[in-house]
Formats: sequence, C-alpha cells, structure tokens
Amino acid sequence: MSVEGEAKSVKCLLCSRDAVSELCRYHLQGKESLETAYPHWVKAYGILGWKDYLDRVKRNVQTGQWAKETAEMLAGR
Amino acid sequence: MPGRTPRQAGYTLVVCEKPDVARRVSEALSDGSATGSTVDGTTVFRFVWGGEQLVVCSAQGHLYAVSDPFEERTVYPIFDLEWYPSDLVEAGAGAGRRVAAIRKLAEGASKFVNACDLDVEGETIGYNILRYACGGKEEEALRAKFSTLTKEDLVTAFREAASQGAQGMARAGRARHAIDFVWGINLSRALSQSALGSGRRFRTVSIGRVQGPSLNFLVEREREIRTFVPVPFWKLSGTFGRGGAKLVAEYSRERILTKSEAEEVKSECADREAIATKVAKITVLVPPPSPFNIGDLQREAYRAFGLLPVRTMQAAEKLYLDALISYPRTGSQRLPPSTGFARILRGLSGLPQYSVEANELLRGELRPAQGTGTDLAHPAIHPTGEKPRRAPQSAEASIFDLVVRRFLSTFGPPARREAVRVEISVGAHKFTLVAARTVFLGWLAYYRKYSGLKDLDAPRVEEGDRFKVAKVEASESFDQPQRRYNQATLLGRMESERIGTKATRADIISTLVERGYVEGQSMEVTDLGLAVIEIMKKYAPPIATTELTRKTEGELEAVEEDGIGDADLMRSTIRSMSEQLLGLIANEEEVGRELDRALTSSAGAQDFLGPCPVCKDGTLRVVRSVRTKKRFVGCSNYPSGCRASAPLPQRGTIKVAGNACAHCSWPMVHVMGGRRPWKLCVNPSCPSKARRRA
Repeated sequence: MSVEGEAKSVKCLLCSRDAVSELCRYHLQGKESLETAYPHWVKAYGILGWKDYLDRVKRNVQTGQWAKETAEMLAGR
Repeated sequence: MPGRTPRQAGYTLVVCEKPDVARRVSEALSDGSATGSTVDGTTVFRFVWGGEQLVVCSAQGHLYAVSDPFEERTVYPIFDLEWYPSDLVEAGAGAGRRVAAIRKLAEGASKFVNACDLDVEGETIGYNILRYACGGKEEEALRAKFSTLTKEDLVTAFREAASQGAQGMARAGRARHAIDFVWGINLSRALSQSALGSGRRFRTVSIGRVQGPSLNFLVEREREIRTFVPVPFWKLSGTFGRGGAKLVAEYSRERILTKSEAEEVKSECADREAIATKVAKITVLVPPPSPFNIGDLQREAYRAFGLLPVRTMQAAEKLYLDALISYPRTGSQRLPPSTGFARILRGLSGLPQYSVEANELLRGELRPAQGTGTDLAHPAIHPTGEKPRRAPQSAEASIFDLVVRRFLSTFGPPARREAVRVEISVGAHKFTLVAARTVFLGWLAYYRKYSGLKDLDAPRVEEGDRFKVAKVEASESFDQPQRRYNQATLLGRMESERIGTKATRADIISTLVERGYVEGQSMEVTDLGLAVIEIMKKYAPPIATTELTRKTEGELEAVEEDGIGDADLMRSTIRSMSEQLLGLIANEEEVGRELDRALTSSAGAQDFLGPCPVCKDGTLRVVRSVRTKKRFVGCSNYPSGCRASAPLPQRGTIKVAGNACAHCSWPMVHVMGGRRPWKLCVNPSCPSKARRRA
C-alpha cells in the first residue's frame, strides 16, 4: 500500500533494483556494452542484423550475465 | 640484558605473545632445565639465567581489545572508547584468567622484559599487558628482539635486550585498533540498523576501513565481467611440411578482425611454398628469485598448492613456533649476512631431502639474491636449519618445502634458457614459431618443481629452408572477460594499493567471504556485496575508495616511525567518520530498502534451484512446510497445478550446484555441513538412484 504523495520508485524490467529509465544501472551498462560491441560484430561478419547479433551474443559463454539478460529482453522486442 | 644486577628484590617477568614461545624461550635460556607450573591456569616457567631469577609467562594473542562503554549494542555514533580485557569485549575470549595470572606475577617482579613478536601486533600486545596488567611498566620494560625461535637467536636477543625507545610500533598498533574500531562499529551499526528498520531480523552487515576498498575492487571487476560483451576475431595457424617433419606456426598478427580477411589469408597461402626467412637464437639469463616476504609466500603457495592465504599464514606461523622458519609476518625480501647462511645450510644438509643441494651450495660463495621489499624488524622468510621434531602436517610440510627451496634457490647462479624464433614466409604473409628450453639449470636445480617454466624443443630449421604449406586454419575466437580475483590476486591488489597490513590482509579477505559478500573460490560478488558498495558510493563515497584508507595507512606508518602523532590521527579519523555517518543516517530508510532488496535477493538466489522439469514452465525452489517446518523442493507453479516436489535433507546448507542431473534433468544441489559436502540430484525417482537401490 503506498502512501499518497510518496514517490514510488520504478523497478528495473530485469531485476528488482531501482530503474534509471526502464533498466537499473547494471542492466543499462549491459545495454551500452551491447550497443558498443555491435559495430565490431557487423564489421567482423560482414552482414549481421541486430536480432541475429543479440541471439549470438546471448548464446556466447563469454557474455556477462547482465549483458545476456539485456540481450534476451531486447531480442524479445 | 644490560644493567642486570646479581639479585634484586624481585624477579624478572618475561612476557611472551604465545605459550609456545614462552616454552621455547624458557628451554633456550635454561638449557632445558626450566620447569612449568601454573598460576591461575596459566603456564609459567621459572629458572635462573645469568644469576637472575626469570619468570616467563605468555599472552595468547590480544588480551586487551578496544570497545565502547555502552551495554546497548545498537548505539551509534561511538567515539568514546577504551581498552578492556578481551573477554569483556568478546565472550569466551578467555583472557580474564590470563590477565589475572599476569597481574599476580607482576606484583612480585622488579624488572620486565617484553618478548612478544616484533611487529605492530606483537608490540601492541606487549605494550597493553605491561601497561594494564603490570601496572604501567610499558616504558621501563626492556625489549628482547628475535626473528627465529632457535636457541642461538633467543640467547642473543635476551643478552642484548634493551630499552624500548619511542615505541612507535606499539603506538601505531594501538591507533590502528582504535581507528578500525571507530570505522567498523559505526558503519556496521549504521548499516545493520538500517536493515533492521526495514522489518528484517537482525543481521550483521559490516564494512571496515580496509574491507570497503577491498570489496570495491571485487565489485568493479564483477561489473566489468557481468556487462561484458565479447567481440569476435580470428586466429590463424599454419602447418608446414618438409620431408616427413611438420612445423606448426602462428600467423604474425595475433588477431584478424574480420572473417573475410581471415579467409583471404587462408586462400592466399593454400598450396604455396613457404620459406624460413629468419631464424634467430637468443640466450636469456633468468636470475634467481628474491627470498619470500609474506605476500610472496601466500601468492606462491596459492599458485603451487591452491592454499588460501589465511591457511598459508597459519601453516607458516606453526612452522615459526616449531623454530623451523623465521618470523613469517615480514615485508622484507632481503637476507642480511647476519642471518647465518652457512649455519642454516649445514642444518639443512642434515635433512635427507635437501642434503645434496645444501652441501653443493656450502662449497661456493654464499651471496643470496635480494629483493626490494624491506622491513625494519625482520629479514625475509627463511628456514632456520633446525630439524623438525615431528613430521609437519601436510600444509605445513608443503610450506616448509617451499620456503627451504626458495631459500636455496636465492644462492644459485642465473638459469640459462635458449629461445629460437623462426619466421616462415608465404608470399607476403608471415608465420612465427617460438620455442624455448633451459640449457643450464642454475637456481632452477633447487626450485624446478615450483618454477612453472616449461621446455619446448626448437625445430631444426635454417634460414632459407623451404616447406610445403600443408594447411592454414582460421579459428573463430572471442575476447575474454577479465578474470575474477581469487584470494591470492586480491591480496596482491591490496598490497599494491598499500591498504591493510601484511598481518591483516588474509583475515580481511576471509571476512568478505564470511559476511556473504563474495562466494566461491573465484570470489563472485553476491547481491549483498554489490548493494553494500552501492550504498557506500551513494551516501559515504570515501568509505569504498582507497584514498582515505591509504591516507590513514600513510599516517599510521609515520606514527610507527616517529612514535608521535597518534592523537592527531585519532582526531582526524573521528572528524571524517562523523562526516560519512551523516550521509548514512540522513538516508537510513533508503539504505534499509536497498539492503532489504539485496538480502531478499541473496536469500532468493539460494532458494532457487532451477527450471521445473515437470511443468517446464515454473521454477523449483526450496520451500518450508508451514505445518512441519521441514524443507522440501516445490514448484513455483503449484498454485496452477504443478505437483513436482521432492524431499530434502533437513540438516546442512543447501547450495545450488548450477547444473541439471544427467539422468533426469532435475536440479543438482550441494549439501554442506557434514564432514564433507555431497552432491545430490533432488529427484527422488532419479534413474541413477534406482540403479543404486537395485
């Protein structure tokens, strides 16, 4: 039950931490890493769509947990 | 002991740090004639040495501890503190009877000798006993200084016992304890109270002066790892044939960034002729290592045996108390000639496993390799040359061998390794092969099993030799994330950042594990560990960073050196702690909410076992029966009809193994708490169990 006037914190879509926009700072950092790495993957393979990229990243064993969770969420959109 | 008089009214009371040291000191000075008796349950040795009546007693670590005068354990901030007998601070510390015994013995003493370990902790222990239990004798007591417990060193130490001077180490030690208490008690109570405020049961959430920055190192690395996205690249290797022989060489560029370029190189090299365009041979001299300080020993023991730093410290201390090695809590990587190299080697030559090497070294000049680490109180860790009276336990035996072999190797000549670098060209493309092997062992003869150096025989290739390209392979690779710290690498980071002391770093790392901030050998940070650092960074930023801690360490070092400035340091600590606490107190509710989330998440993570193999949709969790209070496995989809459940052992801690059973796909768990942890498939109908039953 929330008290009237009390600011209700928005939770991250992927965990119960407070969200900065829709994600917490950890998952946001994961999203940034995904966006930074994408051009390198495109360059490496020639043609690679965003969804295909996300699919490959989330299956990669080196991908960090928060980046993986974020990739999964973005792939589902 | 200068100034010794034939007989005074009272005896000389010698205060040692540990009972084993008291026994060793008594044996050494009395030629084994000292007899032990007990005073209030404390063993005491009495004998005559140099015409003087000596009574040797001992502490058992710290007999006094810093605390606050309040009964209520939730009060904070606290800046009012005093030294109390340890068992008034911590129940069961067992200091009370020992303090009473020393107090009684001090009444009949006319002279006092501090024979505690010669480092900050030992000085603090001795100072406090002489001050509080002996009635203010901390200034007039003499100091016996020794680095090994051999008879020779102990006799010299007592013969040369002298006035204690400014007692910088004791002052710095007392200041360190007081400062750490002020930090620890206030921050931990602020955090624990905040967590309590959110309606949870009490749980200690602590953060200390060195603990904060150390945990922050782990958290920063954890964030890098968990947000890491690898980038692909390709590695090329070529196989080249000549006659029946084959050579494998790596492409000159370690990483090819595009698949198309990797394919291009491959096709350009296919079926071509290759030429050895350069063959370079170089000889490298590998100098002997420097002797161990405690950090080096802890890291090497972790690398060689997987021993945790705290375990290495325990084993080294045991070896010191058995007079087999010198005092281990040293920062020195240097061995002065006064160490008595020849005497030690003669002693080691009496041990079958080292006799050949020790005798060989005794025939030459004894000049050890020296490192840059220094320590005013003790030399680098070295064997004493004494024979073990009993066979050391396994960890102790390993550490003893490591210390002896390291000591021997410091006297050896440099090892010589020959490396061959072959460059093979295929048109414009170049491949390289490097091989190295030891051609002269030098110091490696004593340390080979721990050196980690590997030999790879060089191929017989001359410049201009021609080969057929058998194949060129391109393998897809990915960047690797940074490795998590392990206990040894974290210790190294703490050393290089100059936080903590050689005596305390291993214990601080163990506390991080005990508090549930990190898990496993790879020290994976838990949600709670992440939350504690997040909170600190948000509301009391200096607590999580190294600057404030390092500044305090620098000031403590100055106190140690000059013996003054401790009161000023205490004042500035109280001032900065007050500032940090204000941030936490003002945001107590928010801090509590964040901790609550982390504590719930940590508990939740332990209860979550894995996906339900029955409904394929829910998750299996550890659930407690409301009626019987017993734990069992149940599915989160129970309300929707999934009846997957399984019994669990009622004793021990259940931890998720992280993999599914190979026979039935149900989750595997580790059950811990008995003699050794065991792994269990939670499915009672698992086919593997049916086979066992049959």
